[in-house]
Amino acid sequence: MTQRHRLATGGHVDRARRLAFRFDGKSFEGHPGDTLASALLANGVRLVGRSFKYHRPRGIFSAGIEEPNALVELREGARREPNTRATVAELFDGLSATSQHRIGSLTFDWMSVNGLLAPWIGAGFYYKTFMWPAAFWERVYEPLIRRAAGLGRASGEPDPDHYGTMHAHCDVLVVGSGAAGLAAARAAGTSGARVILAEQDFLLGGDLLAEPGQEAWRAGMIAALAAMPDLRVLPRTTVFGFYDHGVLGAAERIADHLPEPPPHTPRQRFWTIRAKEVVLATGAHERLIAFPGNDRPGVMLAGAARTYARRHGVRAGETAALFATHDGAYDSVFALAEAGIRISAIVDPRTDSPAMQKARAAGFDVRAGSVVSGTAGRNALHTIEIRAADGRGRGSPCPADLLMISGGWNPAVHLASMSGAKLAWDEGLQAFLPGESAQRERSAGACRGVHGIGPAAADGAAAGRAAAKAAGFAPAAEFALPDAQAADHRPLPLYEVKGSKAFVDIQDDVTADDIRLAHREGFTHVEHAKRYTTHSMGTDQGKTGGIVGAAVLAEARGERLEQVGLPRFRPYAAPLTWGTMAGDAVGAHFQPTRRTALHAVHEAAGAVWMDAGIWKRPGWYPKDGDADLWASIKREARAVRERVGICDVSTLGKITVEGPDAATFLDRVYANTFSTLPIGRARYGLMLREDGLVFDDGTTSRVGPDRFFVTTTTAQAGPVMQHLEFHLATAWRELDVSLASVTDQWAAVAIAGPRARDVVGAIVEDLDVSNEAFPFMAVGECRVAGIPARLFRISFSGELAYEIAMPAGYAARVWQAAMAAGAPHGIEPYGLEALGLLRIEKGHVAGPELNGQTTAQDLGLGRMMKKKGAFIGRAMAQRPGLVDPARPRLVGLRSVDPARQFRPGAHLIARDRASGSDGRLSQGWVTSVTQSVVQPTGWIGLAMLREGEARIGTTMLAANPLMGEETEVRIVSPHMYDPENLRVRS
Amino acid sequence: MSAPEPLHPLASVARPGRHGPAGSLTPLHIELPAREIVQVLVRRDRSEDLAAALRRDFALALPGPGRAATGGDGVTAIWIQEGGWYLHASRTGEAALAARVAASCAGLATIDDQSHGRTMLRVSGPRAREILSRGCRLDLHPRAFGPGRATTTMLGHIACLVHQTDETPAYELTVYATLAATFLDWLIETAAEDGVEIG
Repeated sequence: MTQRHRLATGGHVDRARRLAFRFDGKSFEGHPGDTLASALLANGVRLVGRSFKYHRPRGIFSAGIEEPNALVELREGARREPNTRATVAELFDGLSATSQHRIGSLTFDWMSVNGLLAPWIGAGFYYKTFMWPAAFWERVYEPLIRRAAGLGRASGEPDPDHYGTMHAHCDVLVVGSGAAGLAAARAAGTSGARVILAEQDFLLGGDLLAEPGQEAWRAGMIAALAAMPDLRVLPRTTVFGFYDHGVLGAAERIADHLPEPPPHTPRQRFWTIRAKEVVLATGAHERLIAFPGNDRPGVMLAGAARTYARRHGVRAGETAALFATHDGAYDSVFALAEAGIRISAIVDPRTDSPAMQKARAAGFDVRAGSVVSGTAGRNALHTIEIRAADGRGRGSPCPADLLMISGGWNPAVHLASMSGAKLAWDEGLQAFLPGESAQRERSAGACRGVHGIGPAAADGAAAGRAAAKAAGFAPAAEFALPDAQAADHRPLPLYEVKGSKAFVDIQDDVTADDIRLAHREGFTHVEHAKRYTTHSMGTDQGKTGGIVGAAVLAEARGERLEQVGLPRFRPYAAPLTWGTMAGDAVGAHFQPTRRTALHAVHEAAGAVWMDAGIWKRPGWYPKDGDADLWASIKREARAVRERVGICDVSTLGKITVEGPDAATFLDRVYANTFSTLPIGRARYGLMLREDGLVFDDGTTSRVGPDRFFVTTTTAQAGPVMQHLEFHLATAWRELDVSLASVTDQWAAVAIAGPRARDVVGAIVEDLDVSNEAFPFMAVGECRVAGIPARLFRISFSGELAYEIAMPAGYAARVWQAAMAAGAPHGIEPYGLEALGLLRIEKGHVAGPELNGQTTAQDLGLGRMMKKKGAFIGRAMAQRPGLVDPARPRLVGLRSVDPARQFRPGAHLIARDRASGSDGRLSQGWVTSVTQSVVQPTGWIGLAMLREGEARIGTTMLAANPLMGEETEVRIVSPHMYDPENLRVRS
Repeated sequence: MSAPEPLHPLASVARPGRHGPAGSLTPLHIELPAREIVQVLVRRDRSEDLAAALRRDFALALPGPGRAATGGDGVTAIWIQEGGWYLHASRTGEAALAARVAASCAGLATIDDQSHGRTMLRVSGPRAREILSRGCRLDLHPRAFGPGRATTTMLGHIACLVHQTDETPAYELTVYATLAATFLDWLIETAAEDGVEIG
């Protein structure tokens, strides 16, 4: 089939090149410059979809983003994208599209039986009908309704494309490149201001593209803009939201007009634009009129038919009629007549107007004082009915396969409204216009009711100059503006021709009767009526008929439309694909990953990675012969208990605290004392939050008279630094203390186990590591394998242990030296899991216990709180609720059957089921669980338990109702291994 | 005995050569200069003494907020916080610059060697500003930023000290060393559209 509706000449299509495409499996041809919609019309395809609820046949209704009907699934396979508007989808060679929302073929849809049921399935039908039984809603009714009503299908496969982001700054952002936008951008640009001009279309010009007489001006303007060094034009870019402080969001479609993005090119890019001043030149969307059968394929907005004729060189029909309420729509008739389309009638409820006289003079059949009262045609329009505007019943037939309608224009005030500007009613235009600005924005052209190329261009130029001036620039050269007369766009306020199936929302199948029903049932506010009927809730967001529904509601309420208003405009002004919102933050790039200096070493050792916040840490190092992960974990832990192990502890937070007041400062931020700590010694420190709960713990060393090396847990490294900086900057500005984060500078390894001294002694130079010279909690500078390092005798495992800290670039060398020196002693690397196993056996608290809900007392660390001197959290820790002896306390747990697992998160309840209902109440919860590698082996854990100390020796149940588990556990001291603490000092 | 050369945090990640499409676009050039970086935090009321010491020993005028300055013997200072600067210079040995600064500023400031803790990438090329803007919320336009300007901001999801060194434009980007690999990964992916040349 060749393009039998394509004009021989004219418009912005390149007839020399042909683009092949497929729609519902059939092959067609179009040209560069076409949208999918214009190419379908050129090929005579008029039925493009089925309606949302009644499955009525639907055709192309508009030529822009306001399209309610022509939604298709574009592309195939993983790139299949539902709900794509054919009216803005740029045609490319090989494009494939499928109509959506039909069961069977497009021309015979089985679900169209819903149309016959229409009297019973009006607004609220589903809410009212499918209420009982309640359990059926989720499993039966909703899936059925969704299947019947849903729109297109997503591919269900991972998106093969990637998406980018961009941050832009400008003095003046101009949104829209019609006559007003082009003039605004040029006027602002001549001042030297940095200007961005964003246009959602692939061609600049807006309505100028349908004005052949203004083509020279359009081309001249584009050339002038291209010559401005600080003006950036963004075609195919939709500004979708206006946020606070001059921030706007936009989506640039970089590769949607190509079969697939070129290598390394994102498909779309999310722009965050920060503009000093904004000029909104977003134009207007033509308004539909509600009349019976106004949804039939062949009914089209008048301006759209004109655009198809003049911009795309396409006849949208053979015999056309116009139904309009204002003079602004009459140019469509002339445009179509020029394109060789027969005009059968012009239907206008007004009695007379300049445009009507001109049309009559040109020989058209103008039916003044008339309305269209119905349409006929099975899958496409062939006849309209015309009757007197004040008449009733059916009218007289008139042939038309294209009915152009225009009930006025809806200024595209979405962005102005989102910026906070109130809307103001204009009685003459019967439209809501942007009111007083709340941010630094101004509207120009049709989006503020200034219609016609000439007036809009002048309005845009003035707005551009004003915006540049407001941004601190002086506009310079004037430029020529188009001299064009504008027709009067003020409509007769006719919103509805009453009758059955008069749609106010063609996409969501909402009729004028549905709005009246909502009103009768109490949903009288425009926001409520919207939600009850789904009016304006589709992809088009009511751009053509939103105000028509509001007008019907106003009539039902007996109020003026001005009082009823419109539902609030919110982002997004146009649909946005999820990929663009996610940008590049998907998959591995969802968040950054932090790697220690030993990452490659662990990788070479075959570590299984675990996430600790954004850190990658080795969980364990599987070996051949390990039956499962527990075999690996227990093997590593046994190496530490029996011989020696090595572990990467670089992720701990490390902070240099220095200054004459450093010791005073640490005494205030820690619950225990540091001013008494000698140089060359470390001490375990406990930090409370201001509210008295435990914040963090770690070892802090004194490395100079006024210099300390503070360590934090991995998880709280950032928050502790913020906490310290905050108090120095606010509460204690008199203290002379400096804080430097050295977490990344220093890598650290723990070497732990009875043979640790043998290993450390073999690699450390310049330091005597004997127990006498370097006792538990000693700290010293040394060299390891020729590298400057710092040795700490501290232990998290409960064994004789050391930590070596070294500049990160040397960590691999130190690790390798330790592995070599430890080989004769059977050294093994151990990961995060074995580290956890060892500390649970030892009863050391960590993240699961330091969970922001526990006090020092709860954790058995109450004695650490100094008696004298103020410290953060001291006062609040004395609150009755925090010193209540009934609070859960830290205890240890052993599974009665050592082989029987219990889990963190399980609750501890009384074992005796006969102890009444109270006995089944939770008495505490399990925080950490592991398997012990020392006798008696088996599942052990830590828990927070009410009256914990008193219950030691008793048996309770660790209940996990989520998994249907109840495990008998014996309550024991949390210090399950070496409670006398002899091994760390050995 | 002097320490052996340390391992660069990007040693196993940064593959020298061209990434992205082959073509006529000028790629983003990424280099990994070997720098020593020292963090200097002035003691209370000793700002003038510190400035004088650095002027005397390094011919360096400490820059104010948002700025960087390079002294006569090639040491660059970048303002990072109230009373805080990074000093950086070509690597001459382990903690060599830290030792020089400590000798010069004893008692005037807290000195921490950050040569291992911070990683510097030098990026340059005519498209460098456009490419960085894909992840940089700050305005890098010549009217708002330029040679000698330096600031800490987010690039993508990662905190980065951005210092523009010339009008090519060229930028020195300093990030936490443990985030350097993920940062380079982001940078390559973000710039791949234009092409990347490492080395």
